[in-house]
Amino acid sequence: MAIKVAEEWLNICGGCEVTILDIGEPLLDLLGELNFVHMPVLMDHKYFGQMGEKDEMEIPEADVGIISGGVRTEKEKKVAEVMRKQCKTLIALGSCACYGGIPAMANMYPLEALYEKVFRGSKTTDSAETPSENLPPLLEKVLGVDEVVPVDVYIPGCPTNPDIIVKAITCLLEGKEFKLEERSVCDECPVKREKKAAGGQIKRTLESVEFDQSQPWENTRCFMEQGFLCLGPVTLAGCGNKEGNGDGVTVPRCIKGNMPCRGCFGPIRKGANPLVDMMTAISSIGLDAKQVPDRRALLNRYIGAQNRLRPLPARPSR
Amino acid sequence: MANEEFEPLIIGFCCNWCSYAGADLAGVSRLQYPPNLRIVRVMCSGMVHPNLVIDALTKGADGVIICGCHLGDCHYLDGNVKAENRKEAIELMLEDFGVEPERFRLEWISASEGPRFAKVIREMTESVRALGPSPYRA
Repeated sequence: MAIKVAEEWLNICGGCEVTILDIGEPLLDLLGELNFVHMPVLMDHKYFGQMGEKDEMEIPEADVGIISGGVRTEKEKKVAEVMRKQCKTLIALGSCACYGGIPAMANMYPLEALYEKVFRGSKTTDSAETPSENLPPLLEKVLGVDEVVPVDVYIPGCPTNPDIIVKAITCLLEGKEFKLEERSVCDECPVKREKKAAGGQIKRTLESVEFDQSQPWENTRCFMEQGFLCLGPVTLAGCGNKEGNGDGVTVPRCIKGNMPCRGCFGPIRKGANPLVDMMTAISSIGLDAKQVPDRRALLNRYIGAQNRLRPLPARPSR
Repeated sequence: MANEEFEPLIIGFCCNWCSYAGADLAGVSRLQYPPNLRIVRVMCSGMVHPNLVIDALTKGADGVIICGCHLGDCHYLDGNVKAENRKEAIELMLEDFGVEPERFRLEWISASEGPRFAKVIREMTESVRALGPSPYRA
């Protein structure tokens, strides 16, 4: 019998839904096992009845709930709560659902400051009142789904790797637990490491990484050692697929595109602080930590929820 | 909380071979220094990961001091050099977390410098007391 799936998108761009489609052929086999009962991106299901006649938000019961996107508004908070109530297993899909994602960079500022900047402080915008009519009020900050309701399965990534979605759903169908291994991107990265930076300077990504495509990966020097800011050491592994027909080396996705890791899979384990770990890693391989631009935002790019980004405490005037 | 009542909490990471012995000497010499310091004995200042410093300062401590052997005296040859290399990263991170730079200090104190240990702790306690409680203290 097909299992019932409810999918909901909250504060998100929709890329993670595209990733579900991006599963490709294996999706055809999976679809027979899945029965989507609720999915706003595909079907028009009203929360309060077709004519808005009901008082309570209604999402059909399901075996598996998938939430993509973080929680930014009161409405999204309510949806997350109803989803938790109606679904036996809840999956947080994508970095926004797991750690707040890109929108959580707003957590560096208090809500009032954001309103002030967007509606009144920007030179290119006419000043206006903060809109309030017919809009769900914003929460004070962007939250990960697990800050609102308990989450059973985390599938991070921006967007995530279609193969992990397949693995997670297959595990659930077989009644097994799914968890990504606590390894870093570096643990599965095939490039050559010498444990020392080639020069003390941090380069910008617009300068090209040195590589030779005709050579195997082992002959490419670690991007961080080449002087690029690669977040591999502090980022959870899982984005990479095996090269060739599944028998080659595993290459993390950004590395495969000859770009340094951007850290979208988030911290390696709960409670880790990638900003602190990364600054340590930078100084211990001999790069100049001072040259990292916009450290807080850059090293917390996808993971601003769970209090990792917050407005700086006010300093008493001295 | 009025500033007069404020007693800062300072965490001190002291290396086993020099600074802890220095603190010991201050103790057996009956030198007076403020009781605000909580000493954590570590094998080497080079093993104090910046994580520990940031965690302490964002979870309730008002100041952190790392004490190690003088450069060249390290029991493990270059542990204190590692500590010094990390100092800059720690100072940058204090800025990122909105913590005043005066709340963190790295000092070299040898086993024979009991009076110096007492003096450094007195200075540190006074400067942190002047700053008031850590912004992260609830």
